[in-house]
Amino acid sequence: MSELERLTARLAAVLPPDAVVTDPVRLRTYECDGLTHHRATPGVVVLPEAAEQVAAVVRLCGEHDVPFVARGSGTGLSGGALPRTDGVLIVTSRMRRILEIDIPNRRAVVEPGVTNLAITEAVRDRGYYYAPDPSSQQVCSIGGNVAENSGGAHCLKYGFTVNHVLAAEIVTPDGDIVELSAMDPGYDLLGAFIGSEGTLGIATKITVRLSRAPEAVTTLLAAFTGIEAGGRAVSAIIAAGVVPAAIEMMDALAIEAAEAAVHCRYPAGAGAVLVMELDGPHAEVEHQFAAVERICRDSGAFEIRVAASAEERAAIWRGRKSAFAAVGRISPAYIVQDGVVPRTALPRVLAGIDRLQEEYGIRVANVFHAGDGNLHPLVLFDDAVPGEAERAEAVSGRILDLCVEHGGSITGEHGVGVDKARYMPRMFTEDDLDTMQLVRCAFDPRGLANPGKVFPTPRLCGEVPGVRRGAHPLVEAGLAEQF
Amino acid sequence: MDPELIRDCVHCGFCLPTCPTYVLWGEEMDSPRGRIHLMGQHVEGTPLTDAMAGHFDACLGCMACVTACPSGVRYDRLIEQTRAVVEREHVRRPDERAIRALVFALFPYRRRLRAMRLPMRLSRRLQPFLEQVHPSLGAMAELAPGVPRPVRLPPLVRARRRRRARVGLLTGCVQGEFFPRVNAATARVLALEGCDVVIPPRQGCCGALSLHSGREAEARRFARRTIATFERAGVDAVVVNAAGCGSSMKDYAEVLAGEPAWAARAEALRTRDLAEFLVELGPVAERHPLPVTVAYHDACHLAHAQGVRAQPRELLRAIPELELREVEESAICCGSAGTYNLFQPEAARQLGDRKAERVLAAGADLLVSANPGCTMQIAASVRRAGKGEIRVAHTAEVLDASLRGLEPGMLGRSPH
Amino acid sequence: MDARDALEATGVAVRAAGDGDEVAGARPRWVALPESAEEIAAVMRVCAAHDLAAVATGGGTKLHWGAPPSRCDVLVDLCCMNRVPEHTAGDLVVRAQAGVTVEALARTLAEGGQELALDVPVPGTTVGGLLATGIAGPRRFRHGTARDLLIGVTVVLADGTIAKSGGKVVKNVAGYDLGKLFTGSYGTLGIIADATFRLHPLPAARAWVTATVERPVTETVEPYVYEGKTLDTTSTDVAASLRAVIPAVTESPLEPSAVEVDWPDVESPCTVAVLVEGAAAAERAKALCALMGGGLSDAQVAEEPPPWWGRLPEPPVPDGPPGTGGAGGGEILLEVRNIPYRLAGSFVGPFMAAREAGVRAAVRGSLASHVFHVALPPDTEPGRVAAFTGELRAHMEADGEGRVVVLAAPPEAARRLDRWGRVGALPLMRRVKERFDPDRRLSPGRFLGGI
Repeated sequence: MSELERLTARLAAVLPPDAVVTDPVRLRTYECDGLTHHRATPGVVVLPEAAEQVAAVVRLCGEHDVPFVARGSGTGLSGGALPRTDGVLIVTSRMRRILEIDIPNRRAVVEPGVTNLAITEAVRDRGYYYAPDPSSQQVCSIGGNVAENSGGAHCLKYGFTVNHVLAAEIVTPDGDIVELSAMDPGYDLLGAFIGSEGTLGIATKITVRLSRAPEAVTTLLAAFTGIEAGGRAVSAIIAAGVVPAAIEMMDALAIEAAEAAVHCRYPAGAGAVLVMELDGPHAEVEHQFAAVERICRDSGAFEIRVAASAEERAAIWRGRKSAFAAVGRISPAYIVQDGVVPRTALPRVLAGIDRLQEEYGIRVANVFHAGDGNLHPLVLFDDAVPGEAERAEAVSGRILDLCVEHGGSITGEHGVGVDKARYMPRMFTEDDLDTMQLVRCAFDPRGLANPGKVFPTPRLCGEVPGVRRGAHPLVEAGLAEQF
Repeated sequence: MDPELIRDCVHCGFCLPTCPTYVLWGEEMDSPRGRIHLMGQHVEGTPLTDAMAGHFDACLGCMACVTACPSGVRYDRLIEQTRAVVEREHVRRPDERAIRALVFALFPYRRRLRAMRLPMRLSRRLQPFLEQVHPSLGAMAELAPGVPRPVRLPPLVRARRRRRARVGLLTGCVQGEFFPRVNAATARVLALEGCDVVIPPRQGCCGALSLHSGREAEARRFARRTIATFERAGVDAVVVNAAGCGSSMKDYAEVLAGEPAWAARAEALRTRDLAEFLVELGPVAERHPLPVTVAYHDACHLAHAQGVRAQPRELLRAIPELELREVEESAICCGSAGTYNLFQPEAARQLGDRKAERVLAAGADLLVSANPGCTMQIAASVRRAGKGEIRVAHTAEVLDASLRGLEPGMLGRSPH
Repeated sequence: MDARDALEATGVAVRAAGDGDEVAGARPRWVALPESAEEIAAVMRVCAAHDLAAVATGGGTKLHWGAPPSRCDVLVDLCCMNRVPEHTAGDLVVRAQAGVTVEALARTLAEGGQELALDVPVPGTTVGGLLATGIAGPRRFRHGTARDLLIGVTVVLADGTIAKSGGKVVKNVAGYDLGKLFTGSYGTLGIIADATFRLHPLPAARAWVTATVERPVTETVEPYVYEGKTLDTTSTDVAASLRAVIPAVTESPLEPSAVEVDWPDVESPCTVAVLVEGAAAAERAKALCALMGGGLSDAQVAEEPPPWWGRLPEPPVPDGPPGTGGAGGGEILLEVRNIPYRLAGSFVGPFMAAREAGVRAAVRGSLASHVFHVALPPDTEPGRVAAFTGELRAHMEADGEGRVVVLAAPPEAARRLDRWGRVGALPLMRRVKERFDPDRRLSPGRFLGGI
């Protein structure tokens, strides 16, 4: 009997009925998250309904030395919730109560399985919203947002999850329930926890900041003949001192896909569109709109549309928000890449991507948060054509090299997960990575929380006080060295 | 289960929050994404296990996921194909088989339904007993509406004033038997808007229940017969006022894909939902004020399967003094879903309760919906919640009342 | 080779420590003046080899904050690391060495029409000191604090390891965010060598609206009949005008960037000042002025900030017998955090605590973010400081929401009180410290829980 089997036998005692999945056919439906080219059938899946249940499962994992992985809605794009075949997958999709809405204090307390959009929907009538808005906001969970430090189209102005979470109750890898609060003096453990991709524990209750809905929102779409002109407009807008709530750019191929999927009716013949949103007090938005419109025209926009109603606003956004999945309409398969470059390097990096397309004979559709230089190249391929998947993978990797060469990052919002762990050394030195892992060692010296994610090589944390063990299995297997 | 259609799913999960069973149970295998994954497993050689079949059976076929899917996955086709495979390959428990046989021997046949009226009158009182015998029988008894006075419709209703179109009216099995006033109202509204309405007296079932339950051969038989009936009527369009029927008739060409001649004939048949048709046609008849607050319920087979959401709202808003209210979570199924509330009574009840709560929260005088199944389901859920009889009406009845200048108090008083 | 020689051998400038080099009363032996991250690393390696404890300093403006270090051999003075190696205006990003003062940084950025949108309330603060203490000013309401604007950091650990996290792009989720962990860590995890921040364009215009409240805290005496006897009871509350106006201002769609209060003495009137930024600032300020004028007196718009704007409170001049503890070392400064709804607590708390402890107190801070600083006169008797802190905590922390931290207090007073108050996750914090600085060589004992 394996440790996992021994543990599984004990799960029923700490969980409600129907909360343990062991049927192999059912287990396989959890084999991947939103990134499908990494798959692993979990050893067992649990669906807890309360923090105490999560803590109990994590403690059992500790007792049996079995790794665990947390999963929310399973929409991540870096394989951050890729299960372990030898481990427990802890799914928070049944922990989806909004526990408290506290308008006077601008906050809401939610369970991790609550979707991002559900928070906004719950407070919209009162004139508030939850600011981070990843494209998957209708389905992605707040727990997942915390793990990934999710951003969204509006993070240019409003920041990321870490700027909007006030407190989190977490289950530590020891199985303790601990409250991390931005109010508390001491180390900003909350800040360190957010974005740690499930390697420091599992958030079981999250207090988010609610933001006041702006008085005015102007959504506009500017069509250009090509991305160079669009890029010029973005630079000029920033140089003019305007910080739009969002500036999104899509190239011709991405526009074609969005049109096929949601009939967004972007202007015909556009080589690039900018979707922009200006928000704030009426008087400011008027000033900004005048500036933005003038700059777009000066930069060569041949059509500018302004949303006159909520429906029109939604219609403009629909094309952008569905762009990733929409690419499925024009290509049998694709890789969504996520890289960041300093805004001023955008033209050079886009030219570089063009060269890669020619070199490898692979098409790349570009969708990006132009305001903060966050690129989402969609590398298209047909997996039925021999060798194409490999070429697409190569192009995807080379794009990250381009980002790093230009002083950028290998991920702006999708996270490192299992997919990009191998790229971490391109951005960070061994010392950088080892130093980050000191935090890991503090929270999870035995490395049971989502192992194999974020870091290319696990750092062994030395002895756990009071416990003596033999050589770590990774050392025995030659996969890691003892520091 | 077409592997190509399965491959279209990119696993983004956008369908999850729209799926009624995921909303209820929060587990992957009871979501569209999970079910497609299960289909994939089967296609790759995993035998159809009881667990798998259970997750497919638990799907309501509401198609909310089709609306939500940015990749255009044809989940509607996939689940129909899958249900056929389940019918062929999966051996159900004897009691499940018996109930299914009963339902499919009864509902698609108007005369048999008519014969059920007397027993139905008794059945509500017998509900606790029937529930013990089998939950599905209990559900059937609970859902049964008050038995209406039969309404005879003439084979042709002439257009008032100038004729603008000649349309056929599908009367539907359940709609025709349990809600005959809806058909009468539909015919009057169409006539007042300038249509000759042909109502073929011998029309049968359109095949919706069979199609949505994987009984392909039976579905094709009903489809061919319905096509032939309306071809003979010589109409510009077939107008359907029951969402489930409309959605299956619009799928005829695909259902009959294996029979090219029939598929072509299906293609030629112009099927329109009543609201869709009226908005395309444009109003001519005068709308009289109807001072009533209305909560509009999106029937899945109208909103998701046919994409008809704006039109009924537009028609209702155009009625002077009528106030339209939205029901929260309007995209989530009420649990009726054709035969679902008969075969999966427990899940259907949970969804019905959820829907009833939100419908009541809207605080409207009248619940308007375009599907008889939804109407029965929500009314039953409201009764179960101890909130008495909710007033329900079809969009056609509301329009009819406005066009004829009737009192709003008349609307939705049971029995129909 | 002894420690001094070893320090000299690194090539880093080293001098003997003097009177001005004390860290909260503890005098180091030497002062090292590195000029790069590598030089800091060299110093730290010597410290490791010779078991020396080190404390980093920048402008030295807040060295008396926090507890004295339990050991202090080397003061690592980063004043020579005062360059701004990278400022690409088009990217709205700047990288600055730890020793750059915020004033110098602001001058550089202003040339490009940009700013680091933090109003650091202590003049002379360096980038490193700003991060180590996590201190922020009025616009924390709009832009957050240092942690929210920091996008990359280079640190040197106790063993001399140089590590960086983040980068120079605003959007970046690669790896753990060490910057957050180091912000507010009082130099106990490592020495910050340089930092990269996201910037904001300088607003086209700014306007302030000010108004005064004569009695911010009201006391109502009401007769209370108990068993036939009439007693007087006093109820204390925040002024109704503040209660009505402040939420209306902070939640206003006119979007003020900051809402501050200056209350020079809790027995005296207070001033509320609101900052509006943007091309239409004047117009919005006018509207806010009308809103504030509805409840507060003397509401007026100004183009310049009030003199106290963005500064820590000056302690009230004591009216008792003289005997000041002198500037700097004698400072008594507390930080109070609360949730917005507890507006009353934030006013009534210091008011009652001052009265019960028999001290004078000045309060200044953000009514929008509910972070206040409270200053007591430097010569306040130690027992009264402790009593004030205790009373204030009782008021603020009673419902589990508020927090009171004593940032600075003279040693005698500090011994009698708990500087940090309630801390949620101390065991985890200790474990982080153990991993980063297992031999406790970096600012040991300066932080909470003896970290």
